Amino acid sequence: MEIHEIIRIVLTIIIGTIGLAAFGIFFGLLYKGLDRKISAHMQGRIGPPIRQPFRDIGKLFTKENIVPENAVPWIFHLAPLIGLVASISILLYLPIGGFPPLASGYGDLILILYLLIIPSLALVIGGFASGSPYATVGAQREMATMIAYEFPLAIIIVTIAWKLSATTVGGTLIQNSFAISTITSTPVWSVVGPIGFIGLILLLLALIIVTPAELSKIPFDSPEAETEIGGGLLVEYSGRNLAMFYLMDSVKTIVMASIIVALFFPYNLSNLVGLDAGSYPAYTIDIIFYLIKVLIVLVLSVTIIRVAVARLKIDQIVYTYWVPLTLMALIGLICIMWDGQFGLPRIVEMLGLV
Amino acid sequence: MISIYDFIETLTTDSGFWNPLIWGVAIVIAFLIVYIIRGFGNKGYKKETEQTKVFLSGNPEYKEEKMHVKASNLYWGFTESLKWVYKVLDKMHTGNVSDYVLWFVIIMGTLFIILGVI
Amino acid sequence: MNLETIITHSPALIVAVPLLGAFLTPLVGKINDKLRNVFVILTVGLTTFFVFLLANDIFSSGNIRTYVFGGGTPITDGGFAIRILFEVDGLNAFMAIIASILALACVIYSWAFMKENTGLDKYYTLILLMVAGMFGMILTGDMFNFFVFLEITSISSCVLIAFWTNKGKAVDAGFKYIVISATGALFILFAIAILYSQYNALNMAFLANSIQYTFLDKIALVLLIAGLAMKAGIVPMHMWLPDAYGRAPSSVTLILVGATQVSLYGVLRMTFTLYGSQLTIPLKQIGDTSITMNGLLGITLIALALITILVGVLMALKQTDFKRLIAFAAVGEIGYIVLAIGAGLTAMGTSYGNMAFRGGIFHIINDALDVGLLFLVAGAIYYATKQTSLNQMGGLSRNMKYTTVFFLIGLLAVAGMPPMNGFASKLLIYQSTYQVNPIIAIVAILCSILLLAVFVKVFHSAFLGPKLPKFKDVKDVPKSMLLAMGIIACFIIFFGLFPEFVVNNLVKPAADAIINNTNYITTVIGGAVP
Repeated sequence: MEIHEIIRIVLTIIIGTIGLAAFGIFFGLLYKGLDRKISAHMQGRIGPPIRQPFRDIGKLFTKENIVPENAVPWIFHLAPLIGLVASISILLYLPIGGFPPLASGYGDLILILYLLIIPSLALVIGGFASGSPYATVGAQREMATMIAYEFPLAIIIVTIAWKLSATTVGGTLIQNSFAISTITSTPVWSVVGPIGFIGLILLLLALIIVTPAELSKIPFDSPEAETEIGGGLLVEYSGRNLAMFYLMDSVKTIVMASIIVALFFPYNLSNLVGLDAGSYPAYTIDIIFYLIKVLIVLVLSVTIIRVAVARLKIDQIVYTYWVPLTLMALIGLICIMWDGQFGLPRIVEMLGLV
Repeated sequence: MISIYDFIETLTTDSGFWNPLIWGVAIVIAFLIVYIIRGFGNKGYKKETEQTKVFLSGNPEYKEEKMHVKASNLYWGFTESLKWVYKVLDKMHTGNVSDYVLWFVIIMGTLFIILGVI
Repeated sequence: MNLETIITHSPALIVAVPLLGAFLTPLVGKINDKLRNVFVILTVGLTTFFVFLLANDIFSSGNIRTYVFGGGTPITDGGFAIRILFEVDGLNAFMAIIASILALACVIYSWAFMKENTGLDKYYTLILLMVAGMFGMILTGDMFNFFVFLEITSISSCVLIAFWTNKGKAVDAGFKYIVISATGALFILFAIAILYSQYNALNMAFLANSIQYTFLDKIALVLLIAGLAMKAGIVPMHMWLPDAYGRAPSSVTLILVGATQVSLYGVLRMTFTLYGSQLTIPLKQIGDTSITMNGLLGITLIALALITILVGVLMALKQTDFKRLIAFAAVGEIGYIVLAIGAGLTAMGTSYGNMAFRGGIFHIINDALDVGLLFLVAGAIYYATKQTSLNQMGGLSRNMKYTTVFFLIGLLAVAGMPPMNGFASKLLIYQSTYQVNPIIAIVAILCSILLLAVFVKVFHSAFLGPKLPKFKDVKDVPKSMLLAMGIIACFIIFFGLFPEFVVNNLVKPAADAIINNTNYITTVIGGAVP
């Protein structure tokens, strides 16, 4: 590697981070507004205007930034920053529209899985650092929730990578099966047989149910649980620190939806329409298509679920994820593992049709 | 001879990659951005007033020791839903040294059956 | 005396210097306590210097160095391998680096940590003996020699575990440790006797060359693996470990972590070097599938490792004693290493099998550093507050800022969060083992999150929360303890930021030594390789 090569990469990363931060924050808040509007309409309310989240941030910035006397100030201040920074950094590893991931050769799906932990960890540590019983209760619930949903999430991610690693394209086994660029260039739906297809649907369902917990939304929001523990781990946060957590949540919304899109719907419109890849119209149409995909995913996995279901207790959350959902994901895994041996050709052969 | 370029290589596993330095650059930049955004916010609050008291829905505040949630009370929801696992594990850990040796013999026997007999 | 001469003799010096130092310590201690401490630190520092010199030579040249005691060739004219010899390849050098870092941190830490205790002459003597024993186990190329050094390590560590005799439970833990290690060592000796009776040799390379995998050899292998696995703390033979780790002074625990890793090294050396040429030979044919030794042993190790990880981590989650909690987490971490080794063994010869070996070897050093740092933090908290129960702590981050930062580094590293070293090695483990079976990687990922939960709980209950009146006067620990923690933290961050560099220069030679044992054999037995 030459020195100017390194400088080029570093500059790309610097400019990309600035751009992605702006993108993530703006669209995160926009989708938050859309989510509130849609769920209000579902409940027969008018709901706040779509730009309400932006106003919320503005309002929070003018409010006092109270540090409770029992808090450990430097950790209390640092936690929201770290959380937001980490969630912005995940965007670097995800494909946005027709653009490949900016840092595609420098991080993979396992890294994304781990980076996704950091915002939740920041919430937990911030909650613990507030020194309030309500926040502590909320924080330990968040940690338990995190353990709970990480089991199905790990199954989903490893299964997809495993399926790709066992797939041959052009006579050779796929390398770098954990890399996002591999996953987007070889959509998983195209490499499975009928049984594997059922397995993938199960995995997709599991991932959709994991999403609300990842974003602390009803029915998995017992860490915040406004009606029982007054906001839980956020109870002592106010002013700009709370605004940071608010922004973190909205960036994370984009991140989670992008992960689902990248894993399961990595398709682009531009080549269907017949535009040259790399031209401006192609980028425009891909980014619009991507934004629509994100909206659909978010409505399905966040809005509908949170309007339809009531909050679960924390032991019910752990049970939900560790038993029914893990079983579902495991069945998906088994389906995909058996796919090679018992795929459609093999079933046809066993039934004696050939 | 070790050159500077050896240090900045990406960790490759044949299935994925990880380069901490690139991530580090991104983190530093993102931190700067976020820090600037945060700087627009209001800094102040009224120290040592009722503001900084812990919010307890109007319940009276206890002494410091009682306000701290103890380690053994954490993760209640998790241990509650895995009670049966912990029951088995607690039974296993007797703290009796003859049991320790017994486990050793059991494992040795199992290994012997697997490696020796098969 | 030039550098080459020092390197040639350093395998012997690495063991001889601490051994000699051990018996000089009481004499120096008669003069002055401070002088004794300086003397011990210098002794270990000199040993570390030799280790790094030797390791640098081995890693840069790729050679294997032998040191024959009594001079001459290791094999006599009649074909008997009678001389004791030290043989150092990539794996040995790698393990020696771990042991030397831990030993150095331990003696620096002890300066302030053990200051208020009496009987420190004995303490330092035993520490140096234990270090000498560990280096002996690592460097030796002779089976009986291995046993002797194993015994030296066990006996000195048993006394050190029970060093705080005023606490009855420490004596209890020491007793348990001696029972366990005596039982283990006895069976290891038995295995050595079986091998000796068949091949008339104790030299590892010679044995590896002539081993036939008879029924007796199988028994010897089982005894060796079981005995050493117990010393490494594989579930369900781990139960001595929380007792011993939890009751020993923290500085001792640090070296005990090293001793555990060295036992694991013993498993690797015995399996891969001694039986290396027999691993992939089919044993039996059942239908289409042929059963090979590496498959059987690999699956067994994977099963044991999965149980180890799960039990270690789940038990750690409910502990309330700080050091017992870390001890259980350490059990889980050992499980990761065994998991990678087992997966690599199952997939021997494939590229992901090799990658799994690299992950496992890399994780050995990461585990030693991460868990070691956490034990030092636990010791620092004990030093400052005289508490070990997490239920009694709280709000310490106000009084102990540096310790808090070191704990955070340890927390992130042990849970494998980027950008710490634990993430790099766990990434290697996940991304190789999933090709053996996805379930393995899934459980590994899950348990790493659980480890995070375990230590976040510690972080909350010890460091965060309101200011407790009883800890009003607590101050941060003395500089020597901070320095020891700082050394380990620097290694953690360095390994975390430059993973590929470490893998290429440290881990790969060690993993190659596991995968291929012919170099190890031919270095001793000239051209007599079949």
